[in-house]
Amino acid sequence: MNNANDIQNNQDLAFFGKINANISHELKNILAIISETAGLLNDLTVLAEKGKKVDMDMFRTCSQDIEEEIQRGFATVKQMNTFSHSVDTSVKSVNLLNILKLMINIAGFLSYASKTRVNPPQDAELMILTCPYQLQHLIYQVLVVAFKTTGTGEEIQISIYPEKNGDVRIIFSDLGELYDEKFPIDKIFAIAASIDVKIFIADDFQTFDLLIPEAIKTVTMMGAHD
Amino acid sequence: MSTENKIKLLIVDDEVKFLKSISSRLELQDFDVTSASNGEEAIACAENGFFDVAVVDFRMPGIDGVQVLKKLKDRHKYLEIIILTGHATIDSAVESTKLGAFQYIEKPYAFDKLVETIKDAYEARLKRKFAHNTKRNREIQKLSIGSSPLGILKALARLDDEEK
Repeated sequence: MNNANDIQNNQDLAFFGKINANISHELKNILAIISETAGLLNDLTVLAEKGKKVDMDMFRTCSQDIEEEIQRGFATVKQMNTFSHSVDTSVKSVNLLNILKLMINIAGFLSYASKTRVNPPQDAELMILTCPYQLQHLIYQVLVVAFKTTGTGEEIQISIYPEKNGDVRIIFSDLGELYDEKFPIDKIFAIAASIDVKIFIADDFQTFDLLIPEAIKTVTMMGAHD
Repeated sequence: MSTENKIKLLIVDDEVKFLKSISSRLELQDFDVTSASNGEEAIACAENGFFDVAVVDFRMPGIDGVQVLKKLKDRHKYLEIIILTGHATIDSAVESTKLGAFQYIEKPYAFDKLVETIKDAYEARLKRKFAHNTKRNREIQKLSIGSSPLGILKALARLDDEEK
């Protein structure tokens, strides 16, 4: 294996690990809520058995909370499953909106995540032929930069525009100032180049524009970045 | 036991359902609980009130657990802080301990262990507070031997109040 391959494999693995860490953190939070709420139900039951007056609404609220957290857990596991299977095929036809939403959900587990508003086109086909894993990697990295520059209380806009030739443009706007030496801009450009995605950054650094080709044939080696 | 004699807890976590459940359970254990769903709220609570022990989530939006820990420690000399996290790392455990956290607990955890840790933190707080008061320290030592944990705490709370 040559150096470029090693670097790409390490970066791919690091991204996979990062996503797994985010998801496991989310699952731990869910389990902690279920555990504490079930514990509270038990405490209330013991009190009731001892003849103490217990508000029945508390039992109802606890049960509802547990049910909601179990559903949240199922949704998280489903996202984990979708992400894990994205490495199965290197290049395949995917729905861009689904990939974008998956990464928004997973990046949303970050403590510094901003709010997001997705503005999809009406009645447009957003199927593209690409490397789903690398596209996820790219979108996640852009979201991380966007969240870090924008802040937790703010909302970023994510708009999708199909081009006439079948390519698709995703524009991240309402961002904080993007330019910062510590942000992995080189890494983002390298991931983008590996799947022929072109990046445009506005002069005011507050808009990040990805032009995603309708189809790629192969994934290009990312090169010795980072 | 009146509110004045209860151990005063500040619980900080951005997971609102978790905060609600854990606060209710700790209240049933006879603690006087105030909850805050973010770092800013926690600091505001600590500025306006008095607490014996704080249980703080490590990873929160905005002001995170480390910053809350620093600010609370700066303002409240004897406050003991327990860090509770779903994202435990060796680095964050070391950092918390260096900044003076009493204990670092990873989610999910056993509720009984948390209650025991809160009691230990409260006892540590009293020992530090009365470090230069030999008579009080002896009383704390005596109370710590052979009593039920809740009995110890009630007695310690009484001693603590006498010194306020």
